Amino acid sequence: MNELIETLQFVYAPQVVNGLAIGVAVILMALGLTIIFGLLDVINMAHGEFYALGAYLGITLVAKGVSFWVCLALVPVVMAGIGYATERMLIQRVFHTKDRHILTLLLTFGLAIIAEDVFKLAYGPNPYKPDSPIPGASELLGVILPNYRLFLIAAGTAIIVAVWIVVYRTSLGAMVRAAAFDRHMASSLGVPVERVYAGTFAFGVALAGLSGVLLAPIYSVFPTMGKDFILMAFSVVIVGGMGSIKGAVIAGLVLTQIQSISSLYISPVWSDPLVFGIMVLFLMVRPQGLAGRLGHG
Amino acid sequence: MAEAAILRNAVEATERIARGGRNLLAGIFVAIALAFAVFAGMTGDTFFFRLATEALIFAGLALSVDLLLGYTGLLSLGQALFFGFGAYVSGLVLKNVAPSFWAAIGITLAATLLVGTIAGIISIRARGVYFALITFGLAQVAFKVVFNTREIGGSDGIIGIPQIRAEFGLFSVDTQSPAGFFLLTLAFMMLLYAGCAYLVQTPAGRLLVAIRTNESRVPFLGYSPWRAKLFAFVAAAVVAALSGSLYPMLRGLVSPELLAFQISGNAVIMVVIGGVGTLAGAFYGSAILTMLKSVIGTFTEYHLIVIGALFMLSVIFFPKGLAGYALPRLERWVARRRGRA
Repeated sequence: MNELIETLQFVYAPQVVNGLAIGVAVILMALGLTIIFGLLDVINMAHGEFYALGAYLGITLVAKGVSFWVCLALVPVVMAGIGYATERMLIQRVFHTKDRHILTLLLTFGLAIIAEDVFKLAYGPNPYKPDSPIPGASELLGVILPNYRLFLIAAGTAIIVAVWIVVYRTSLGAMVRAAAFDRHMASSLGVPVERVYAGTFAFGVALAGLSGVLLAPIYSVFPTMGKDFILMAFSVVIVGGMGSIKGAVIAGLVLTQIQSISSLYISPVWSDPLVFGIMVLFLMVRPQGLAGRLGHG
Repeated sequence: MAEAAILRNAVEATERIARGGRNLLAGIFVAIALAFAVFAGMTGDTFFFRLATEALIFAGLALSVDLLLGYTGLLSLGQALFFGFGAYVSGLVLKNVAPSFWAAIGITLAATLLVGTIAGIISIRARGVYFALITFGLAQVAFKVVFNTREIGGSDGIIGIPQIRAEFGLFSVDTQSPAGFFLLTLAFMMLLYAGCAYLVQTPAGRLLVAIRTNESRVPFLGYSPWRAKLFAFVAAAVVAALSGSLYPMLRGLVSPELLAFQISGNAVIMVVIGGVGTLAGAFYGSAILTMLKSVIGTFTEYHLIVIGALFMLSVIFFPKGLAGYALPRLERWVARRRGRA
């Protein structure tokens, strides 16, 4: 009995906490993706690059002497501006064509390839490892956990709750959901649909940038960091149901826990195939994902 | 009855002209390729022959992407999965089983029919953008699995694949001869093109166009979209894998990077620049992209910025691609000539 408790305490508990830290970051990414898809029907292939851009902006500002905490507020604002401009200048150009699903996907894909090379050009191919803004570790129930990861879990959870409140409990969120449900009806009721679209895209991009800043001290910052992370975020969005906030949160927690705990038994390089295999199996049983999309329930 | 016959004749005449235009476009490509071969052969060049052969091989991959995107409306972001699969199977056969062209091609074909069907059953459950994401994910996972499997070379891939002579009864082609293997690849790719061009005008191929136009109506006509999509998926997988099977013959090695997203992405770029839904456009797209990379590569290693920008401009301003603009003109020319004859 004691052995079992000790295993749970010293083997599983740290993995669960690590998984949670990654989980909230993945959920932040997935929320941006899923909200953009739910409202605009756009698969943002450049989402991973926006995440990387957020991380690069963060380390650049920190290197200039700006405190990490200011960055945490500043980077999402800058990223929102970039997202707004992207939506108005790029997405809108092909948004009203018949093949907008594919065209917007291709456009953001083009943006992703450009961004990756721009990062290489500006920062070089080598990874940066910023210092942890909250060094040290705390002991929790006899287990030693890095402080920064605990902060990440708390801050991430707060942001996820805030997103949920904004979308489901404010009039702004009601406009977004109305536009997602029926854009013509929403428009005739006075919702500025065009601005809601651009604003939502900007919001999703800001979330990606924010997760970039938050995760930079844990993973390193390097040009292809977005690509390595995006597969997980896509899996979460697909399992959760495209355009569903609740689904993304549940799927994000479950998939990252599976990844984290399975790495105790199998080599971590196989955890991605495992998570993806689970996604494929899930999709065979329930193609529409866990929950319905934004504005539909 | 008479009206139906007139309508049928009119439709068939239009289709004949469209086919004529498409084949003319492919013919022009062959002419350009042969002119290049004569020129490069005279200067005794090896590097550009090899580069052009590689461009042809990747054009085969782009052709398979166009078969799915241009005719069935399915955007595959993971077609490199089958390209790399073909390259690995062919490389393993050449190295470990028999250094024979036909063995490599035959075993690749058989293995792809199996793997393509399994991947197809998984992927075509998803519609629209889900399909793009599923194929993206499948290829990423295959890449990671190959990358981490030491038995097939892991991250190093397979090196030291023997050069072979491809036997054709009356003559044989040495894969080491730059000109010989270029011409062999050109002929091989034109066979794949002819196969695809034939396929899309069969009743099964027309069903694919019907699915692209309106999938929900297809069952009401008594056809199964599922079967047709699976058929298109497997056909595209075979085209991609057969193209990939030539890669180890050219380079003497295969690496996990052949399955990477960059290869799938490049194939999509080639199709979009060349012209979606034209088949022949894939060859032009591959030639343009290879040339651009080679030219820009001499100035800067950051060629993706230029290619990405060009790609985005072409999506916004020239969504039909090069072939999409050339084809109407070629078709008018074909129609005039037919009219005179």
